[in-house]
Amino acid sequence: MMNATSIIKRNKLLSFVILVYISLLIVRPDIATTALGNSGYYFKEMIMVLPVIFLLTVVIEAWIPKEVIMKGIGKKSGFKGYLLTLALGSVSAGPIYAAFPIAKALLKKGASISNVVIILSAWAVVKVPMLANEVKFLGMEFMVTRWILTVLAIFVMAFVIGKFIKEGELSTDESKAFKIVSEACIGCHICVKAIPELFEMKGTKAVTIASDKLHSYHDRLLHVTEKCPSKAIVYEQ
Amino acid sequence: MDLFTLSFLIVTTILAAFSFVKNKDKTIDAMKKSRGMMGSMLSQIIAIIMLIGLVLTIIPPELIKTTLGNANENSAVIIAALVGSVTLIPAFVAFPLIGSLVNVGASIVPAVAFLTTLTMVGIVTFPLEKSTFGTKFAISRNILSFFLAVGIALTMGVIL
Repeated sequence: MMNATSIIKRNKLLSFVILVYISLLIVRPDIATTALGNSGYYFKEMIMVLPVIFLLTVVIEAWIPKEVIMKGIGKKSGFKGYLLTLALGSVSAGPIYAAFPIAKALLKKGASISNVVIILSAWAVVKVPMLANEVKFLGMEFMVTRWILTVLAIFVMAFVIGKFIKEGELSTDESKAFKIVSEACIGCHICVKAIPELFEMKGTKAVTIASDKLHSYHDRLLHVTEKCPSKAIVYEQ
Repeated sequence: MDLFTLSFLIVTTILAAFSFVKNKDKTIDAMKKSRGMMGSMLSQIIAIIMLIGLVLTIIPPELIKTTLGNANENSAVIIAALVGSVTLIPAFVAFPLIGSLVNVGASIVPAVAFLTTLTMVGIVTFPLEKSTFGTKFAISRNILSFFLAVGIALTMGVIL
């Protein structure tokens, strides 16, 4: 049972959606089955796109040096950085959620907030196959006008958000990145033995000790997260 | 699989294979990191996809078309922008839909508002955006996108 609650806690949104589907299945089974059928196209899309995104984040992570990213699309990259990220976002494949891992990987390597906004927005709006489709159904004049206005709007938004949000506010809150779901902890001591610098026992439950050197424990933390028998340790970088 | 995604798959596979040959440990380490990051997103992505299916069932494209076609212009802009924000329909459905509306004489302002919020504002993807980039980022990006989309629509109404 402990395990089940921790799984639900870690997948709140999915649990909620599944609950909605189950209630619909009881009340309006026709809606539930149509909805599931409608999701089919997007599942296919996800299965095709996610491997590409995964490989791309691997290549970014392993081979693009931080300095290059900081120089090209970092805080001091200016308008050139805007143009570069606009181009990056435009030659993209897949739905907007596919842009999140890429943008996050670039962010970790020193891309500025403004440029992350541009990548996400350009990824969603300015796609080459989509533009061709727009010309076909709405005409060249319509497409070009909308494209120019959209790019301007994206730049304005990037500038405003870059001013409005400070670097530190962007990363998801630290408490979420590293914690123990205490309802799930079975008090087995494995984590405390593995990294005493980061874990201690408080009664029958393990708790985390705050540390600003989390990254230096990165590999050991990943290992211990997998070792935890009830998967109670949450560690996201 | 469309040509675009396919060519991306080929290019990234070659890059990753090259990376693996050049430095195995570095690549495996990067794979672990990416797996960690994307693993934590996967359940949310699946949830999002199931939500999209649900929204499409409750607000089908035909309903969007009749609503936009019948509303008076001012309220149509707002309705169009709102509907675009909550739905996520593929471009190859959205463009013919809007095209057929505009061709029978509907105003382009709500049409543009719908097309632009459709791609730039994501109510359904909001939870994932929030957990990836933080609440403040997700809220400001979506709200700004919404109003800029309405602005784009109104400007296009004046120009075209």
